[in-house]
Amino acid sequence: MFEASIGFAAVLVLVLLRIPIAFAMGLVGMVGYMMETSYRGAISMVARLIIDASQDYGLSVVPLFILMGLFVNKGGISRELYQVSYAFLGHLRGGLAMATIVACGGFAAVCGSSLATAATMSKVAMPQMRKYGYADSLSTASIAAGGTLGILIPPSVILVIYGLLTETSIGKLFIAGIVPGMLGILFYLCAVFFTVSRNPEAGPAGQRTTWRDRLTALKGVWAVLALFFLVIGGLYGALDFWPIHLAFSPTEAAGMGAAGAFLIALSRRNLSWSGTLEVLKETAITAASLFSVLIGAWIFSNFVNIAGLPEALLGAVTAYSVSPWVVMLLILLIYIGLGCIFESLSMLLLTVPIFFPLVRDLGFDPVWFGVVVVVVTEISLITPPVGMNVFVLKGVVGDVPTATIFKGVTPFWVADIFRLALIVGIPALALYLPSQMG
Amino acid sequence: MSNLANFARRVAQLPIFLASAALFVLMIMTFADVILRSAFNAPIEAATELTRMLMAITVFAVLPVLSVREGHIVVDLLDPLFHGSLLNRIRDAVISIACGAMLILPAGRVLVLAERARSYGDLTEYLNIPQFYIGWFIAIMTYMTALVLLLRGVIALFAPKLLENYDV
Repeated sequence: MFEASIGFAAVLVLVLLRIPIAFAMGLVGMVGYMMETSYRGAISMVARLIIDASQDYGLSVVPLFILMGLFVNKGGISRELYQVSYAFLGHLRGGLAMATIVACGGFAAVCGSSLATAATMSKVAMPQMRKYGYADSLSTASIAAGGTLGILIPPSVILVIYGLLTETSIGKLFIAGIVPGMLGILFYLCAVFFTVSRNPEAGPAGQRTTWRDRLTALKGVWAVLALFFLVIGGLYGALDFWPIHLAFSPTEAAGMGAAGAFLIALSRRNLSWSGTLEVLKETAITAASLFSVLIGAWIFSNFVNIAGLPEALLGAVTAYSVSPWVVMLLILLIYIGLGCIFESLSMLLLTVPIFFPLVRDLGFDPVWFGVVVVVVTEISLITPPVGMNVFVLKGVVGDVPTATIFKGVTPFWVADIFRLALIVGIPALALYLPSQMG
Repeated sequence: MSNLANFARRVAQLPIFLASAALFVLMIMTFADVILRSAFNAPIEAATELTRMLMAITVFAVLPVLSVREGHIVVDLLDPLFHGSLLNRIRDAVISIACGAMLILPAGRVLVLAERARSYGDLTEYLNIPQFYIGWFIAIMTYMTALVLLLRGVIALFAPKLLENYDV
């Protein structure tokens, strides 16, 4: 317990000194493991991990889902998604902000990153909301908050990383993210409604769209919707078109998604040869950086386990006969606290090796905990002072003060806390769908 | 010296291209495998082992490039505290050198493990490809990454101008 605590503190210090997370966790894990076992044992463990991780079939889901998101992005889908949402919601008060939320949700369904969702949607939605005289606080906040949906609505890079770190089924995690993700959209719409009912000036209504135009707008997105249903339906094992039955492993779903997105982008003539190469290159680099942090986190995890931290923590909890729910509440508070300063992926990597074994041994469902952790991470993306999504918005929009964005985000943040409470209180919201999986 | 930097940039394109190609093949193969299996009940039997190899190639080919670009995921929370370019430079250089040095031992061990696989004659299941090819590749690229990080640190200390505007 003592060694592991020192190790954790050492990782924190190294990481704050700006040493890459992969190297900080790897180094501390290696040295710690060395002290628990032997020099040779530690080096061998690290070398084995490097060899095995890079050839782990399950890990191939990482580059393929990133590839899918980038190809969809190249396909120019964000504009169409926004047009459709606008066609249906634009005439309401605050309708453009609501359309932004729904479009973000739609984009999240094909993209696994919150930052990418926020960055992409801000380019499309921000000019429109400006045109209709929306308050900067509402328009930026709706994009920043809507963007967080990227990591919960499947596919999700963060859920993949969680699944790989904890050996939890990625397919189940994805399916479990659907209902909480929908709830997210619903609650954010309420937050917009709340904002405009308090201050109608903030979000004036746009023009009403005729049903004919609404249907025309739908044409622009059907391919992407189909892709989403193919990927998620295949993952769920629910696509049964006799004689063809489609049931995908996560890797296969990701491969289908990537190839499908590639074909969609090609058919829209939005993809050049150099554009394709650019996407592949970016994916390879992102995948390599994610693999590095995964290997680092695994090395650290091995050390934490061999140092007996999980047993020690569990022992402490049972010795003081604390209720598991009190522990869970404490963990969530720690997450919300850490979320104020840490960026989402770093937070996940640093905390999951420590908390997960305890949570599992206390009898909580690993899939449910994954969803809860991701929802908490979403909250951290819009929590001051370090809300990454807010910074992304600031980077794209520029002339809006950060404080204004954070102020506008407040109702969304409150909506998130409600959603978190609901998912923690009613685990079935996350767990019902995966429990029905074939 | 700038010729040297240009040359380095050219050379760096090679592994990126290799990784991109591997990734593209991986995507097409997975797609084809699912289609063939679902529609014609004829899966690509070697798909799993090819996936493993293509992944290792993708990740390890770009690892040195990622490292020289400072593409690793870092926490930049305390950046405002490190004022002044000299302090920043020294910190980056020390980190780079430390990270590079850290990789040398595991890289050596990877090579030993690959050699062991070779002496056992380990082959992949369907295609009978010797396992040590990938082991060697991983070891060499890990060594390359270590070298690149060490070089980067030294250059950052003594010839920082070379690193300016460096983008592969």
